[in-house]
Amino acid sequence: MTDLIELEEPTEPSTSSREEIRRISDNARARRVVTSRIMVALCGVALLIAAVPLVALLYQLIDKGAGQLNLDFFTKLPQTPTLIAPNATGGISNAIVGTIALTLYASILAIPVGVLVGVYLAETNSKFATTLRVIAQTMAGAPSILMGLFAFSFIVHDLNVGFTAIAGSFALAVLMLPVIIISTEIAVRNVPNSLREAGLALGAKPHMVSTKVVLPSAVTGIVTGVILAISRAVGETAPVLLVIGGGFTNSWQPFNPVSAMPLAIFENAKSEWPSQRAQVWGIALVLVAFVFVLSLTARIWASRKQQVRN
Amino acid sequence: MTEIQAVPTTQVVTPRVRGPIEMQLKNVAVSFHGRTAVRDCTFDVEKNRVTSLIGPSGSGKTTLLRALNRLHDLTPGAKVSGQIILEGTDIYRGNLTVTELRTRVGMVFQRPNPFPTMSIYDNAVSGLRFNGIKKKSLLDEAAESSLRSAALWDSVSSRLKVAASNLSGGEQQRLCIARALALEPEVLLMDEPTSALDPVATLRIEELMTSLKSRVTVVIVTHNMQQAARISDDCAFLLMGEDRAGELIEFDTTEKIFNNPVDSRTLDYTLGRFG
Repeated sequence: MTDLIELEEPTEPSTSSREEIRRISDNARARRVVTSRIMVALCGVALLIAAVPLVALLYQLIDKGAGQLNLDFFTKLPQTPTLIAPNATGGISNAIVGTIALTLYASILAIPVGVLVGVYLAETNSKFATTLRVIAQTMAGAPSILMGLFAFSFIVHDLNVGFTAIAGSFALAVLMLPVIIISTEIAVRNVPNSLREAGLALGAKPHMVSTKVVLPSAVTGIVTGVILAISRAVGETAPVLLVIGGGFTNSWQPFNPVSAMPLAIFENAKSEWPSQRAQVWGIALVLVAFVFVLSLTARIWASRKQQVRN
Repeated sequence: MTEIQAVPTTQVVTPRVRGPIEMQLKNVAVSFHGRTAVRDCTFDVEKNRVTSLIGPSGSGKTTLLRALNRLHDLTPGAKVSGQIILEGTDIYRGNLTVTELRTRVGMVFQRPNPFPTMSIYDNAVSGLRFNGIKKKSLLDEAAESSLRSAALWDSVSSRLKVAASNLSGGEQQRLCIARALALEPEVLLMDEPTSALDPVATLRIEELMTSLKSRVTVVIVTHNMQQAARISDDCAFLLMGEDRAGELIEFDTTEKIFNNPVDSRTLDYTLGRFG
């Protein structure tokens, strides 16, 4: 059938060319070692430059914020200082309750829709899906004040709901949606096709493969994306600024005006009382702690799941 | 000097009596976006025998195998023509839903692919659950019998609730076989089931296939000619044609294909002259 390939006798390279090869490669190696050391040093410098603002920020936050924290800070409603009691600023319980309520309602609105759309985008290839994906990606990059404006004109004004928690939650949900959609789509796409085929080959209908095989395998990625979306929503100021009304009570009601920590920072920072301006750091510290705990939970959970899998 | 007896040179060939037919392939061809990947496949898969599909890379073995339980259905641009008849019913045009077909024609893939989020038990009964069976006694019975059939029961019966990903590669593949067997299929398709396994695990799977023959008809794709010769009863040899589409060159009993094939290309391949 096929002819055998004729093999030539192997010839040895001459001693002189061997020495030349060795000399050149030695020089090249020495050069590489020097280049490598310079690059490592540069990396260290870049790391320092990146770390300085971060560390400075955290230092300032703790330095100025920690002194504000006490039991009253978490449990009392805010007060306006007077000339007699210029340091009576009260607590921020209404802002903490408001932030939790806003985030909770926003999650209830955004998570089911976002996860379903993400799964749909990953599992189908229709023109509609492509359009939806482009919209989600554009929305992910849209400035957050836009969501606030939208919620203001649509919920507060057009639907005549007024300045309420639900209006803020709606704005936050619109903000969270693209993050959840995109991370769900990636997580679902990362599930190996061989698992889908295994399901189909066992006589499962496509929707069963999606719910019984693909979703459980993608749940780590989906939950991580959801928690990141929540932690982004917790700290957003712009969407809630225009619509939640800034309530001064601890209200969990979706149709009441509420406060929120970012809003409290915004308002207090404009205050003429130094005590209220100082309180801003305490609120900021609590807010950062919130976000930190959330994203840490997401990371720990994801890596635990990963370990179990492996 | 003793006289040398004349030995008859012509062997008397008695054609083997063909058994009942499980699957009939008539001019089966598969194309993707109009480009033919494999064509001209006409042969009968006999009941309770192991039929192997052999041939070099690109000859369309896997493509043909996947057509037998309609796994190409979800591939965009894939088209299967010709007829594949399972017990008298055309699986593409006949009165048989794709999910029902797949419970009757099971599949084991090249790489072990147990569901990573499910336990060993859940994997074994996953096919039954997909098909709506929820009764625990039925599931328990099916789990045990299918794991026993796959020679896995003794090593996993004490840890059925453990994640399937904890098993070794060979055990995972046997779990995939158990998973397919739990549906009691008539045909088991195997796509190079041992190519990702070590020789010992390979041997166990091969023994398993031989022991399963009495209950299920096996169609196996393999790159390994020794494997085809060891375990299969019938053998289809495919080769890539000049337009890069695979085609069936020869189909016969494995013995005939390896010892006395009609086509010279079959002989060249089985002797290892190319491929």
